[in-house]
Parts: sequence; structure tokens; C-alpha cells
Amino acid sequence: MTLAPEKKSKKTKKLSMKARYEALTRGLDWEPSYVAKDEMFPHLDYEGIKIHDWAAWEDPFRLTIDSYCKYQAEKDKRLYAVLDGFAQGQGHLSLTDASYLNAMKVFIQGVTPLEYGAHRHFAYLARHFAGPGPRFAALCQSIDEIRHMQTEIHTLSNYNKYYSGMHNWPENFDRVWYLSVPKSFFEDALSCGPFEFLIAVGFSFEYLLTNLLFVPFMSGASFNGDLPTMTFGFSAQSDESRHMTLGLEAIKFLLEQDEANVEIVQGWIDKWFWRSYRVTALVAQMLDYMLPRKVMSWKESFELYFEEQMLGGLFEDLAFYGIKPPRHVEDAIKEKELLSHQVYWTLYQFSFAAGFTTTAPTDEHLDWLSQAYPDTFDKYYRPLWEKEKKNIENGGRHFARGLPQLCQVCQVPMLFTEPGEPSVLAQHESEFEGEIYHTCSNGCQWIFDREPEKYRQAWLPVHQILQGNCGGPTVPDVLEWYGLQDGDAGEYIGSRDHKNWVAWQGEAAADTAAPTEKAGA
Amino acid sequence: MSEQTAADQTQTKAVRDVGVVIQESESNRPVIEAIEQDNPECTTMHTPGLVRITAPGRIVINQETVEEKVGREWETHEFQMAIVSYFGNIQEWDDDEIVIAWDH
Amino acid sequence: MAIKSLGEYNFPSRSAAENYGDDQLVSVWFQDTLWFAAPVMFRAPRAMTWAEFKDQLFVPFAEEDPDYDPAAGRTWTLHGKPFEPQDGQSLADLGVRHKDVIGTRVAA
Repeated sequence: MTLAPEKKSKKTKKLSMKARYEALTRGLDWEPSYVAKDEMFPHLDYEGIKIHDWAAWEDPFRLTIDSYCKYQAEKDKRLYAVLDGFAQGQGHLSLTDASYLNAMKVFIQGVTPLEYGAHRHFAYLARHFAGPGPRFAALCQSIDEIRHMQTEIHTLSNYNKYYSGMHNWPENFDRVWYLSVPKSFFEDALSCGPFEFLIAVGFSFEYLLTNLLFVPFMSGASFNGDLPTMTFGFSAQSDESRHMTLGLEAIKFLLEQDEANVEIVQGWIDKWFWRSYRVTALVAQMLDYMLPRKVMSWKESFELYFEEQMLGGLFEDLAFYGIKPPRHVEDAIKEKELLSHQVYWTLYQFSFAAGFTTTAPTDEHLDWLSQAYPDTFDKYYRPLWEKEKKNIENGGRHFARGLPQLCQVCQVPMLFTEPGEPSVLAQHESEFEGEIYHTCSNGCQWIFDREPEKYRQAWLPVHQILQGNCGGPTVPDVLEWYGLQDGDAGEYIGSRDHKNWVAWQGEAAADTAAPTEKAGA
Repeated sequence: MSEQTAADQTQTKAVRDVGVVIQESESNRPVIEAIEQDNPECTTMHTPGLVRITAPGRIVINQETVEEKVGREWETHEFQMAIVSYFGNIQEWDDDEIVIAWDH
Repeated sequence: MAIKSLGEYNFPSRSAAENYGDDQLVSVWFQDTLWFAAPVMFRAPRAMTWAEFKDQLFVPFAEEDPDYDPAAGRTWTLHGKPFEPQDGQSLADLGVRHKDVIGTRVAA
């Protein structure tokens, strides 16, 4: 108690947080004098959203420039201290297994470029919103997002010195088939109007699904000896809490401004929940298959972070405004015991053309999956892996000898099954101006049918390869065009990373064994 | 018996949980302790590297309690260094307290 | 619903038939096995006969499944209806359009 500071006298000198925030976001704004306001902010009308009072925007964080800079600097300092220590201590050798890094390869290839996209587009919002509160919040988020991209690169660059698959991620992102899933998702959002983008990324991605994306992922990093990624994840997630607040504030603000906004916002929630949810398919398989030491299953994570927190908590709150839970959410719930298995089985058989490697689960891993998914794993997926085990014993290794049909909207291979029918692959067909388009689910078909002019332009990797636009007709041609090198793709066992890992662990064991031998001699 | 269950469900529905996820570290331990002290109804769950604290309806983080625990001045903005995620709505983030609760 | 846009919004499909010359895209959907995670997509000449389609595209893909039995009879579907292609018929004759999906399973 004696340590307790005498504080009150000191603090009264400063303005209160509220007053400082008011001064920044209200006091610095001005009314245009020689142009009309709608000329200054020309993108705010065409989506049909009506805003009557921009001043009603409240940022609960009440962040000001000085505190923003102070805490961001502190976060960076902590992160870079960890990165340095880890690199100096050869920390990569204390990972659970080199195969763990496959999750990080997917991360740097598929997520890091999204951070950059978010940086650009929040900068656009920081220019285009007519209220200083949301403009400042968007500006902070824009700076956060480029910080995330940079810290992710720095965090993973140490691994890039020793492991495959991380050397060409920006080009991979633009070209490789599975990366078109996050890429097309984000470009879909970037090409929306400012308000739709805010609901798409600020709300649906950042608030609804960010926990599902990052929280178990950080625990996974921690549990598998990846201190840098855990620390980076923490550093980014603390910003993410602010982004969640922006997303939630945005939706409440739009709903409170005009009753006519409700229907428009509902449509965006319906669309962007499903678009975002489909991107999380890549995370589902990371949790259940790519982490050598498991933290929680996708199903548990989905129940905790989505069903309990969002459906049980948030949507009850939004019901006040007349907002309903997202359309097709029932289909997502029905998929929770299937998703990760279907996705990993797909990546497994197409990893000959990927920037990561895959391998068949061990018996112990299969047992964990059986126990985590008692209603589905033994019935549908374990038999496939048992069959593959025999196939491998007979000298095979299941690599598909062709290219998969893709969904026109989410661009994931058409691997999903009909709701409630886990052995029936879903095939949805729409026709628009004389051409047919295929989608993987009720959700993606609904999105296509709502805006077919948008989705018919999709750059679908398989269609493009078959058109001859991706380096040539053979797999090696395409891999070269992807910028992938020997050791990046294929089976993990026997891969370059695996061989190096075994050799390095052997050296470490030999090093510790050596002094004992000498002592004995 | 079934009546009781139904009543319980109505009650849990009326008071929905809110929660906050904090990085489990030595420097955040006093913050976690302060939250536990000021929110006696809370439940904590540990996963590697993280602590998830949930409570029915509302979670408050008091500057005064945190300062007692850390033994130095602590401004509420500093909570940004601890928070990983939350669910609920940040109703207040003032000099003396942070309140997470649902609005409706 | 029309796209909400700042200007005129009308862009062509990047997968339109004219991008494939005399060929077209055709998918095969294995309906009785999950061994193949998703339907496979081929580029095939419209004039290709059903026999050529089977021998050159379908079989080399399908036989990667250790349980694939070349002797087994198969049933086929097109546009959700049963479909009985003859070896000499071309894909165009059979009414297989650009991007169509042909379903198949081992006959009961």
C-alpha cells in the first residue's frame, strides 16, 4: 500500500481523456468554404446509406495521437526484443516440428498481403468519410495495418533463412490457386463503396470472425514453441481490439442514423459473413491438421468464439435495431464438424502445386481427430486416411492428377458438401447472360445471384491455367510461373525442410551427447 | 424440473456474458488480478499464452484497483498493452475505468 | 440486384467460352467416393469423342484411386439427368456445354 501513488494532484493538470479526444476529433475539423461538402466527399451517396449527423460517431477508445504513438512504439519495442532474442538463440530449433511452419507459410502468403490491402483501403476511408471521428479511427487502423504487414514480415523472415515456402509470398499471393481465396475476398471488399467495405472488413471480418482467425492461432504458436509469432500475434491483436470497436461502432452508427440503412446493412452482413466465413476454411485446417501440438479443435473454437460470443451475445444486441443473424449461418453451423477435414484432404491431394507441404496424420493424430469429432471423423474421414495409409505402403501417395473445379465466388475448390449430407458434394449452378457459373454452397450461390456482374469477372486460377495464362500447360510450367522452388511443395516427409530438421535435431543431440562421452573417456 | 431449466434459460438469455482476452504475462498478471477482484462473478479460462475472462452482463476494469496491484501509476490507455480481444461493447473507456457491456 | 457503382459497370466473364477456342471446360464429379476431394476440371475439344474423353482425360485421372476398377460399369449424369453417351459421339453432339459438370458413379 505504501507504494500506491499519490495521483490525483498530478492528473488534474491534464485534460481528461474525453476532452482530449473531443479536441482532436472535433476541434480540428473544418467546414469547406470554396467547395460544396459533397464535392469534398464524393463517394458517400451512391450506396444508398443516409447519414444525418456525423458528429454522433463516438469512438470508445478515445485515442489521441500522443497515446497512439506511445503505445504502438512500446508494442514494437517488445516485439523486436523477442525477435532478436529468438534469432540469436537459434529459437527455430526449439519448435515442435518443422512441419509447424506450414501454418506460417499459409499465413505469410495469404494473410500478410491482406494487411497491406487493409492499410490502403483504410487510408481511403480516412480521406473519404465526412466525419472527423471515423476519419481518425480509419487513419489509426490504416497505420496499424501496415505495421502488421511489416511486423509479420520481420517475424517470419528469420524462418525464411532456414525453411522453404516463404521466399516469394507477394508473387505467390497474386498467382497461386489457393491464395486466390483470400485475394479475391479482399479485392471484392476493396471494390465496394466505403460503407460496404466498413461492414465487410471492419465488422464481418474484424468483429465477427477475427477471434476465430487469430486467438486460437496465437495459442497454437505459443504451444508449438513459436514465440515470435505469438508475440507478433499479441501485438497485432491488441490493435485488433480497437478495430473490432471500430467495426461495432460503425454498424451501430449506420443503424442509428436512418431506418432505411437497416435493410442495406442486413444485406451486407448476409453477404460478408459468408464471404469471410469461407476464408476461415484455411484456418480451420491449420488448427486441426497443421499444428503438431494441438490447442483446440476448429469445432470447439467455432462454438466458443462464434456461436457463443457472436450469435449468443452480439446478435441479441443487434436485434434491437432489427438486425437478424446472418443468412446461411445455419449452414456454417452444420459444417463445423466437417470443414477442417474436407479442406485438409483437399490441400493434401493438391499440395504438389502449393507453397507448403502436407503429410498424412499419424495414428496418434487420427485418434485425436476421432475424439475431437466423435460424430463425423470415424464415419467419413478416418476411412480415407486408412485407405491412404495402405496406398502409401504400396508405394503411392495421393496427389490428384488434375485440377479441381472451383467456386465462382469464394474460389475454394468445390469440396464442400450439402448441409446435413456429408457425403454429397455440393453443386450449385446459376446462369447469367448465357453462361453458367458454379458455386459451392447456398451462401456463395446467393452472393453470386445477387451481383452476377461482379462475380463473373472472377480470375479463377484453374480456368486461367487451362486458358494458358499461367506459364504453360504442365505442372512444372505453372510452378515456375508461381515462383515456387524445389522443396516448397509436395509431401512433408522427405522434403527439404524435413531432412534439414532431422539433421539439425541430430546435431543438437550429438552436441549434448559429446561431452558425456569425453567425460567417460 | 423442466420448468426450472426453462427459467434458467430465460435468465441466462437475459444476462448475456461479456468477455475479454488478455495475454498471460508477468506484466499483465496484476491487471488480471484486478479484474478478478472487481468482478466477483467472473470465470477465467486459460489457453496457452492467453487468459479469457467472462462475466454475466458487464466487466469493469478500475484504474484504482490496477494501480494498487501494480504499485505504480497506471493509465487506462495502458490496457491496450494487455488486451488481445473482447466481446461485448466497450461502453466506457475513461481515465478511471473501462466498462465492457452489451448495450441492449 | 444491380451493382451499386460510381459509373457504368459491365465487364466480361474471364472464363467465357471464346477464351478456349475450339475447346471447352468440362468437369467430372465422382458422386460415390470422397477420394477425390472435388470434381476435376478438364479442357477438352468440343469435337472430342466420348471414347477419347474417357481414355485420354477421365481414366488417367480416375485410376489414381487405388479402388478404381476399369472393368466396372458406370452411370453418368448431365444436367442432373441420367445420360447414356455413346463412344463415337462428340461432346458437342452429346449436348455437353462449356463448364458443364458430368456426374458419375459405379453402376449398382
